[in-house]
Amino acid sequence: MSFDYLKQKRIMLVDDEQELLDLVASILKEEGFTNVQTAKTVNEAIALSEKYCPELAILDVMLPDGSGFDLMKRLKSIADYPVLFLTARGEDEDKFCGFGLGADDYMVKPFLPKELLFRVNAILRRSYKAENPLVKLATSEIDFDRAEVIRDGEHISLTAKEHDILAALYRNAGRIVTIDALCEAAWGDNPFGYENSLMAHIRRIREKIEASPSHPVSLITIKGLGYKLMVEGK
Amino acid sequence: MKSVPKLIRRFVGIMLLAAVLLVGLNFILLAVYTLSWMPNAYPWKTAEEVAGYLVQDDGSYFLPEEIARELEEADVWGILIDNTAMQVVWQSDNLPETVPEVYSAADIARLTRGYIDGYPTFTAGAENGLVVLGYPKDSFWKHMWPSWDYDLIADLPKTMFSVLAVNIALIFVIYMLANSGLLKAVKPIVRGIQALPAKEAIHIREKGLLSELAVNINKTSEILQSQSRQLRKKETARANWIAGVSHDIRTPLSMIMGYAGQLESDMRLSEEDRKKAAVIVQQSKRMRNLINDLNLASKLEYNMQPVNPARQNLIAVVRQAAVDFINMDIDEKYPVEWETDENLTACFAEVDGELIKRAVSNLISNCINHNKQGCRIHVSVRVENSNCITAVEDDGVGADEELIKRLDNAPHYMVCDENISEQRHGLGLLIVKQIMVVHGGTVHIGHSAYGGFSVQLILPLAGAGNGK
Repeated sequence: MSFDYLKQKRIMLVDDEQELLDLVASILKEEGFTNVQTAKTVNEAIALSEKYCPELAILDVMLPDGSGFDLMKRLKSIADYPVLFLTARGEDEDKFCGFGLGADDYMVKPFLPKELLFRVNAILRRSYKAENPLVKLATSEIDFDRAEVIRDGEHISLTAKEHDILAALYRNAGRIVTIDALCEAAWGDNPFGYENSLMAHIRRIREKIEASPSHPVSLITIKGLGYKLMVEGK
Repeated sequence: MKSVPKLIRRFVGIMLLAAVLLVGLNFILLAVYTLSWMPNAYPWKTAEEVAGYLVQDDGSYFLPEEIARELEEADVWGILIDNTAMQVVWQSDNLPETVPEVYSAADIARLTRGYIDGYPTFTAGAENGLVVLGYPKDSFWKHMWPSWDYDLIADLPKTMFSVLAVNIALIFVIYMLANSGLLKAVKPIVRGIQALPAKEAIHIREKGLLSELAVNINKTSEILQSQSRQLRKKETARANWIAGVSHDIRTPLSMIMGYAGQLESDMRLSEEDRKKAAVIVQQSKRMRNLINDLNLASKLEYNMQPVNPARQNLIAVVRQAAVDFINMDIDEKYPVEWETDENLTACFAEVDGELIKRAVSNLISNCINHNKQGCRIHVSVRVENSNCITAVEDDGVGADEELIKRLDNAPHYMVCDENISEQRHGLGLLIVKQIMVVHGGTVHIGHSAYGGFSVQLILPLAGAGNGK
């Protein structure tokens, strides 16, 4: 598994309901995460954070002795690590509030184990990619840190745009990323009229990562919608 | 305020008509009355008659029996004054003693114009003298000075016309003066009544002629205001209640979903047990969708959902909704096909992207919910007549005409009646309709060219710079 190093990450769960803590811990443990600690209140979480130095926090918004947003602010002042919110309130304002404070993602209860795991994996991959820069594909590896592809022992460098596009695809590995989202990743906000440029870039990326660019197995086209990057071990 | 001048015109019209009618009626009455007195107003003629019948016989005068009786019955006396002697030569039997026997020329002139001792007298010339008839006192009124200035009579038509004109003008002025106060009092009341249906808060000055009406209008406005406040409060409470319930259901449902999800992929379990877990997962997903729908529907209904319209590329929004769906539900039974023309890359509208995404994913969910056997879902965006049309269609079971008609006509707000079963099916579509109403768009439900159900979301394009 290419993500094994991520499974070692220390994860802190904060929720006032014991059953939910048990559930999330069980989901994470089953997936192979070995370092999971739990807290039930803001104070417990801060104490745990100082002792345990978590690398990812999964927080509930409503805690008995304060709000999850305030807790995140205090945690971030101790150490900067990613935060995922779990909440029973689906209101948009909470969402904006959460992201505005620097939350990395947000999930509304109830959720399926695979939905939670996808988000946890995505956040960890994004936050700690420098620790293991090699992403294994079917016939090559990507080194995002050095912006190059290694195929058959050969190092092929990526352009800035190719790097941005691949990074956006990798963040959502195994899932479709829309044409619009990829254009936004490469050309910034309001990217209109770049569809043909995107296709050209995809073609060049395939020449670098695929053994047979005309029959791609790692970077797959979903007609009309977008592209999907298949990563080994996913 | 158009009704006030109309009202004034009507009032003035009625008033003028009344005046003219009144004058006309008076003239007619006067004529009838005068005519009815005409026959009796001819004592002069009677005098002529008497003069004709009076015959001289042997130096004395004689009146036929018949005429004498008639005069006596009417209580009229008569005398004949001789031309040369200037004294009475004949008299009726009932002559009062106070009537003189001898007359001078001045006496004759006076009695012709007026009275003898209070008896109104009428004269007629006979063969050798003057017949004088005396009528009972107070039976006639005689005009004793019958002469007018010539100019007065000559100018009479002109004078009468100007008097009439001045009269009409005077009436008009008096009417306007009297009514301007009333109109002034009516104006704010009319304005107040017209503002009532707009549910504005109204306060009219409670003074003047119609202060009672003003008080009532103010009261009505207050009642309406407090009622709408109450209603708003109730709606807020209801939406909050729904939000609260859905919040409380989310945590327990998390456990059900989470553990069922784990069991579903637990390879140590038998195939059959995993299938059971999968059913629990599917059903809890349905519950989750229901909670989300219920929450959003109630918020949209009570205008509590913040809508943040911005210039968005609808193609990107719809594409993201379709992709989110494929990413979330990896089920081979429901392939999603993107049917949008490749040359159409942008299609701008003023929309809240999150809500439109929600509408599209609701439509895709609908396709799945109604086609258990699986179906192909076709999503497309196209531009037509400066509208952007997003279509979600399937090749599944579809719906018959009656159902389509009913869905098409279903209101976009929640209805509460006995027919709850219809409501149960409609929540997904209800939200889609609500979202379209918020955006000024429309929903068209029908048959799909692919064989199944079709829903089109029609949104107006934003101003300039559409597509390519």
